[in-house]
Amino acid sequence: MCLGIPAKVIEVNESKQGKVDYLGTKIKTNFSLLEDIQLGDWVIVHAGFAISVLNEEEAQETLSLLREMAAAQEAADKQSKITTPLK
Amino acid sequence: MKEFKDKKVIQALLAEIEKKVRSLSSPVRIMEVCGTHTMTAHRYGLKRLIEKTGVELISGPGCPVCITPNEIHEAAIELITRKENFILTTFGDMTRVPTRKGSLQTIVPAPDSRMSIVYSPEESLEKARRNPDKEVVFFGVGFETTIPAIAMTVREALEEGLSNYAVLSALWLIPPPLKAIVESREIAIDGFLYPGHVSAIIGEKPYRFIAEEYGIPGAITGFEPSDMLLGILSVLEQKERGKAEVANAYTRVVRPSGNLTALAVMDEMLEPKDAYWRGLGLIPQSGLKFKKKYAACDAEKKYRLKIEWGSEDLPGCRCGEVLRGLIQPPQCPLFSEKCNPDSPFGPCMVSFEGACLIHYKYHRG
Ligand code: SF4
Repeated sequence: MCLGIPAKVIEVNESKQGKVDYLGTKIKTNFSLLEDIQLGDWVIVHAGFAISVLNEEEAQETLSLLREMAAAQEAADKQSKITTPLK
Repeated sequence: MKEFKDKKVIQALLAEIEKKVRSLSSPVRIMEVCGTHTMTAHRYGLKRLIEKTGVELISGPGCPVCITPNEIHEAAIELITRKENFILTTFGDMTRVPTRKGSLQTIVPAPDSRMSIVYSPEESLEKARRNPDKEVVFFGVGFETTIPAIAMTVREALEEGLSNYAVLSALWLIPPPLKAIVESREIAIDGFLYPGHVSAIIGEKPYRFIAEEYGIPGAITGFEPSDMLLGILSVLEQKERGKAEVANAYTRVVRPSGNLTALAVMDEMLEPKDAYWRGLGLIPQSGLKFKKKYAACDAEKKYRLKIEWGSEDLPGCRCGEVLRGLIQPPQCPLFSEKCNPDSPFGPCMVSFEGACLIHYKYHRG
């Protein structure tokens, strides 16, 4: 039940009622717990309310960290294959 | 954002974790507080891979359905079996929790009364609008993630002058039970993965005492496999440096001070109370109740419900120990044979976030 899903804002009116798109399904969502909300934002929806707007910059930063780690690991794997021949 | 599930990324993170554990040269036990983390760990087979690195993961008290004690379920049953012309609404898994009085699903409601499953508190409020001739009570359970949504329905009902809507509340706060678990000293914990979406509301500060007073590292953690591994890595790094803190490994969703709008709603409408938790007993200031001025929407007051707190689980059920991280579900003698999803004996076998159901689904046989 604490499942919060990331979904895209596709409709929002002045009283902060609207809809999000979650994997193609439109879900009625209440945005009144968010200060500022715009069409196209990604939000976390929980129990009918959007509780947080996804911060794109932070997401990209985490992703590049992950990519770097994967690349470093791959390089290390290659290295160890060269130095320790397969048994 | 597929990378959060990417195999190469996960392997790299696991290798890094293994390296860190090796340099610490002792096994590390981390509590994943949130039931959704338990789900991620098991669903992707991640738990086994993590344990291979030398990190033991134990589930914490972060499944709201599981920690809600039976007495309040029995109060809900009392309400719907005694009062005519009622609609009792709640989340689906709440209806299946077994008590000595049966479950909300098995009881027979009073004449012209009925049970109704909803997916959100708003849906419940909508029922009150559509059924002006009935009393609608939302049996609302949740942590800080859900509490603002529940409180908002009460605010809306009052603004609209709806007098037939009330909430039977089972509202719980996450930091107090963590303190109770650490203080009980029943189990040594080297670090916590704090629940990402509770933290989206409360921010980082409420966990600080765990680092400052007890010196236990922790990381606010998201729910993709790589999020979980990043959280673990952060805990290990803190251990390595010998400095405990509240790290934020879920910055794309969690702001350091949380969601101020939601916190203001909670603060305005609710106040802390000492509350009973299944398995953990009475924990000071660990629950929330509506302030006096909202009594008209507080089902406990409105219908003068008498809740006898402090009763026990069904005989034989060891959910209490599961919730404290003392045993793994298969160590309960009832697991699987007597207690299974078709005939659950305790809430941990009912809720999607319950450790017993998760074990049953992913590891039987
Ligand atoms: S297996 Fe069933 S009876 Fe045992 S602790 Fe889990 S829910 Fe309770």
